[in-house]
Amino acid sequence: MRFNEKELVCLSRQPSEMAAELGMRGPKKGDVVKRRLVKLVVNFLFYFRTDEEEPIGALLLEQCHVEREDSQTFSIAFLDEAERKYLFECDSEEQCKEWMDSIIKASYEFMRKNLIFYRTEIHRLTGKDPLEQYGISDETRFQVNSGSQLMTRDTSSL
Amino acid sequence: MKFHEKILTRFLSCTSPVDKEGYLYKKKERNATYYRRWFVLKANLLFYQERPADRHLLGVIVLEGCTVQMLDSDGFFPFALQFGSGLKTYRFAAGDAQTQGRWVKALFLASHSYLSGLLRVLGRQYEEAKQQQDSTNSCSTFKSLSPPTNSLLVPTLGPFPLVREGRSFSASAALPPPSMPTKMAAKKSPKKWPRRNAHVTPLNGPAPLYGEWPLVGSDPLVEFSKLHDFYGQEVQKAREEWLRSQQTEKEQSEKDLIDLG
Repeated sequence: MRFNEKELVCLSRQPSEMAAELGMRGPKKGDVVKRRLVKLVVNFLFYFRTDEEEPIGALLLEQCHVEREDSQTFSIAFLDEAERKYLFECDSEEQCKEWMDSIIKASYEFMRKNLIFYRTEIHRLTGKDPLEQYGISDETRFQVNSGSQLMTRDTSSL
Repeated sequence: MKFHEKILTRFLSCTSPVDKEGYLYKKKERNATYYRRWFVLKANLLFYQERPADRHLLGVIVLEGCTVQMLDSDGFFPFALQFGSGLKTYRFAAGDAQTQGRWVKALFLASHSYLSGLLRVLGRQYEEAKQQQDSTNSCSTFKSLSPPTNSLLVPTLGPFPLVREGRSFSASAALPPPSMPTKMAAKKSPKKWPRRNAHVTPLNGPAPLYGEWPLVGSDPLVEFSKLHDFYGQEVQKAREEWLRSQQTEKEQSEKDLIDLG
């Protein structure tokens, strides 16, 4: 599958508040903990070898389950592979909490739900739809019931 | 770099909202030919495959750090995703003007950065609305409602200015890469990213100007309203040019009508 790799690498170099050296262990049997530079940029978790500039990999932080493993360790599991977890060892309990929180809040779907909440509440409190001023109130992307699969199927001439 | 395809394909097939899907033509740079592909836009990811029923995904484009450009061409409805200097430009074409407009708008709104900016603005509005609600509910001293101190809450731009109406703009409607991000990026180091140990490399410091990054990393509130301003101005200009050209056309044809000697 093709993807815009160069652009993603560029994205991985953007400043991020969440960037630190953590112990990281892959999900496969036999994977060991390795020291990695882990960096959160938008809804991606990039990880680098500590002395390299190009990331080894990028994990999309959507539909994932973040769990506390012990006081300083958290894990990320993706969808139906609950046993296949990526493990992250932090230097402190505080750091562990901060990372877990940041990863959860970085998810696009999490943010979308928040947006819908704000939109609904602002409308309730003020009687006005806050998205109207931006001309985006009809976008399916920001609809209140977008929990279900809403599709804007294009009946174009193609 | 490993992109963990399984995670992506699972995300595509899961129940989270599909923001837009449909056929578009995608240009292959290698042979400058357009191929029809089925596109699925979910969150900030644009997936594509040959047909909707296909299980094989051809590719995915991460929609961060790119500008969406509506291009103009007679009888042909192109648009592009531009990632900046040294980076890719993806070219697409729609079958008609309406589809073109809808996709351009959808892609413009798709980024994580955009959502993040919007969220901050709404978050503040929500807090203010709650405070006002609390103050009107309280029976104690009357609190005068002060106007928002942050003028960014009041956008300078009106509704999203997508004006297409089935006609091509006579002038180039191509939105050039925003000058705004250059200003934003001005504080970033123009030096090439030197090969250094990651410990020493300031991760939170200036990023290399590898490409232009309109929104990532800067203050979202400022970006958000500026982004709307910028696109609004561009489309406003294009619209004015189009209206002027309509006017000229009209005058031309009226002239011909009179001049029958």
